[in-house]
Formats: sequence, structure tokens, C-alpha cells
Amino acid sequence: MGDSHDSPDFLQYLIRLFYMVGGVLVAGTLITVLIDVLFTFSLPMAALIGLVIALVKAGFVVAIFMHYKWDKKLIMITWTMVLTFIFFAGMMGLIMWAEGDIPRLGRAEVPTFWVVAAALLGVALPAAFTLLTIKLLSQPAPVEVAAPRAKRVAKRKKTD
Amino acid sequence: MEIPYTVKPRPDTGLYNGKLGIWLFLASEVMLFGALFSSYVLLRVGAEDGTWSMGLMNITVGAGNTMVLIASSMFVVLAWAELKQGNLAGYKKWKWATIACAVLFLVVKWSYEWPQKFKHYDVWLNDAKLLHEKFEKGYQETVSHAEGGDHANDHGDAATGDVQKFVEAFYTKRFFKETSDASQTAFKQEWANGTLAISGHINAYQEAQINVEVTGWNADAGASEADADRALVELGVSVEEAAEDLRKKGGLIKERIDYDWAKRAEYLLGQAGFKVTLSVAGYEKVEAHPWFWRTPRVNEDIGGNPRVRSIVLGLDHTHHHDEIEIETRHISRLSAYEPKHSTFFGIYYTITGLHAAHVFGGIIVMLYNMLPIGLSLWHKDRERFTNRIETFGLFWHFVDLVWIFLFPILYIL
Repeated sequence: MGDSHDSPDFLQYLIRLFYMVGGVLVAGTLITVLIDVLFTFSLPMAALIGLVIALVKAGFVVAIFMHYKWDKKLIMITWTMVLTFIFFAGMMGLIMWAEGDIPRLGRAEVPTFWVVAAALLGVALPAAFTLLTIKLLSQPAPVEVAAPRAKRVAKRKKTD
Repeated sequence: MEIPYTVKPRPDTGLYNGKLGIWLFLASEVMLFGALFSSYVLLRVGAEDGTWSMGLMNITVGAGNTMVLIASSMFVVLAWAELKQGNLAGYKKWKWATIACAVLFLVVKWSYEWPQKFKHYDVWLNDAKLLHEKFEKGYQETVSHAEGGDHANDHGDAATGDVQKFVEAFYTKRFFKETSDASQTAFKQEWANGTLAISGHINAYQEAQINVEVTGWNADAGASEADADRALVELGVSVEEAAEDLRKKGGLIKERIDYDWAKRAEYLLGQAGFKVTLSVAGYEKVEAHPWFWRTPRVNEDIGGNPRVRSIVLGLDHTHHHDEIEIETRHISRLSAYEPKHSTFFGIYYTITGLHAAHVFGGIIVMLYNMLPIGLSLWHKDRERFTNRIETFGLFWHFVDLVWIFLFPILYIL
């Protein structure tokens, strides 16, 4: 969290947010349980609902509890995570939509659409990954020299 | 050597080093859990119909534990906020609350949720006719009870009074969640083949009482007479009168003794050159809820008889956990709900176990940060201590995050 956000007012605001997020998380859990108890869905539907709620909860935890919302400088890690996730999803897709052995998503034969989509994803993902990596790496280096390193050098000189 | 530490964000990364480090660590953790999650999904999707025991989780306990972790996640960030305001007492208050939640989570998991499963059994019989008989015997009362009206809606089709329908109702609930063509086909097949499992707790069992007998002594086996005497003494047999006779003619060492003693005697006497035979003299009823039993444990052969003759199973899905007795010679497989039970329990214990290990590690770090040795940093460098608590918080939120995804996957799907 940046220095500009260290004021007491902001902290009070943060604490209120923390309580709110706690409430959201509890509500999310309750909704998940209620949906499971009250309705019976097919497996893909249940998976979709359960995971969407989990994703929303996760979003709140990362954004507020982990103060990601204010740590914009984490962009490098973000990209790594996002790309890993997409890559992972694509990989899972390729396996799950394979025609040979898993006719278990409620259809005897997998529609051509999914096969084509999976193949495109398989090509697009590594390409996107490469492009973004190049873009990230070609960003201009920071002009300022890191302060701590300079300090350390000075210290070493003194002891010599 | 002092490790250089920067409290302020570095200009090039925009973060203090500790935070960058913990985020990188969390990135690697995402990979670790990601691999396990994807394994779970693929195993789940690839599972044959009727093999994935999804209906066995206790959702109330799961949801309760989720709440506990959410609360702890909130407390840990409040503890950090107190430090940010320079309030050490407030930090301690929230931190203890966090630790309490974490401990509660593990206590529920390790002393209630898992042990319950280790004492809960599936039993497969090797004869379809016998299986149906057992079902008939076990569920008859429950089914007729349901007809009475009070519990008519408890188990769907139970009201028809047909045991087969009754069994199908919870078979469907466990493996399919709802009745469909697939569930009906699968059930019919299992019912016909007799491959269904009977589930419940072992309330009692008939355990063998063993006679230990020696039939001779082999002087050429490499053990001296003194060795033989020593073995006898160790087993509590008076040597003065009996040793000579036992070596020459053989004889009964101990009557109606338990399995552990008999096995120890067999080993010791065997080492001392005796020829030993174990035989079952009778069976004794033991009232206990054994843990972790498997098939070889119950039907281990002792002189032609099984170690456990029969088990008394308190049936699930009955009003009073009605008991049926099953002879072990009819059992083709018996397994507690342990990792070896099935793919589902294998991956279930792997993922929740790894998650619990993270919670455990978190508790240790939190305790360190509450002890004088950890708190000394606060008195030396407040900002650095605050940062340390913040980075721990990041880890703790991650552990919470993992559970947020685990809960719907394991308990709901």
C-alpha cells in the first residue's frame, strides 16, 4: 500500500471496508449452501454457480483484504497470474473437450464448435503469452537507481 | 550478518521487498494448488457414473468451517490496521481472535470431521442375494416406519414400502444428486449384480480367542535349549516343570488369548526353535468402533478361521442406526472412508490435508509474532513489524482463498 494511503481517515475507511467484505463473504457462503439445499442442478450448472460465487468472494478478498486495489504496482505479478490462469483454463479445455474418452458433459458427441474453439485457444494462448511477455520486458527501465543498493555500497566502503 | 531490509517501497518495483517476495511465493502456491484443483476436476469429470461419492460430505460442518476461516481472515487484516495506528494492544486482541479461529478450524477438521470418516465404513458383500437379505432386514423397520406418516417425506420413495426403492433413493443422492435415466440404469445394474455397498458404523464385532500350542522343538534350527527356555520365560510359562515336556512332546502354551499376544508368542517361540500352531478356540463379542479397518484385517486367517467372525453394522439412513450382523466370510471388501477407499477420498484428503498444513503453518507463524521474541521487532522498528504482519496477512488471505474454492468443489459438486 502506498504512502499516500497511510492517513488515519483512510485507515478508518479501510476498517469499515473490511467489515463490509466480511459480511459479503458470509453472505456468499450462505447463498452457496442455500442454493445447494433448495435446488438440484445438473453437475455443470452446479459447478458454474458454485464457482461464480467463489470467484466473487475471491475477488473481494484479493481486492480489499489483500489491498490489491491499492497496489497497482503489482502489475507484473498480475499478468503472470492472469496468463497462467488462462493458459491453465485452455489446457484443461483441451483435455475436457477431447473427443475420444470423455462423453460425460451431457452429450454423446462433442459439437465441432468446442473442438475448433479449443484448437484456436491452443494456438492463441501461447501466442498471447509470448506477445505480452515481450511487451512487458520491453518497457523502459526505471530511471531512478534503487536507493538501498547505494546505501549498502557506502557502508561497505566505510568498513574497509 | 544483517540482511538489508527496506521498509519503504522501492522505486523500481513500487513495493517493499517483503511484499514482492510474498506475492511471488503466493504465485508459486497458486501453481501448487492449481495442479491439485485441475487434477480434481479431471478426475471428477472423468469418473464413471455412480463412482463419485459426492453426497457424503457434511455441508453444515463445511459451511461452518468456511465461516470460521472468513472470520479469521477479517481479524488478521484488522490486527494489521491496529498496528498501522500504533495500537499494539488492539493488534494482540485481533491476533488472538485469528489464532482462535485457526485452531477451531483444525480442531473441527482433525478431531471431528476426519475421525468421523475413519470410523465410517462401506461393506461390499460377495453375494447379491445375501445383500438384498441384509437390506431387507436392515431397512424393513425404517421403511414401515416411514409408511406410518411421520417420516413419510424423509426419503422420497420410502413411503411405498419397497426396500429396493428406499435403497435407490440414497444411492441416487450419493452418486447422482437427482434421479435421471443414468442413475436408474446404474442402480438397476448394481442391484442386479449385488455390487452395492452397505454403509454404516461398526458397533461391535466377534473377535477370535486364540489357543497357542507348540507341537515340537527342532534342535537343529540354531537355537539352544537355553534360548527356548528364555522364550518360554518371557511368555510367562513356568520353566521348571514344563520346559522339558514342551520341548519333547509339545503342549498348550496359552488358552483363549487375544490376537496380539498370540502373534508375539508365535514369533518368539518360532525364533527359539519351536513349531507353533495357532487355532481359534472361540469368539468374543467386542463392543467398540474400530478405526481404519480393511478387508485383510477382518478376515485374516488363523488356523483356518477368520480373525473376526462377524461385524455388527449400525446402518446409515435408518432412524435408530438399526443393526445388522454380517459374517466376514460374506464380505468381499470392507473399507473405512480413508484415502484408500476411492479416488474421491484420495484427492479429498490430499487437497484438504495440504490446506490444513497451511493453516497449521500459519498458526505457528502467528504464535511467533505474539511471543516476546517476535514482538521485539515492534519495539525496535515499528514499521518493519507492521510490514511483517501485513505480509503474513497476505499469506493468510491466500489460505482463506483456497478454502473459498475448496468448499463448493468438495462439498457441493
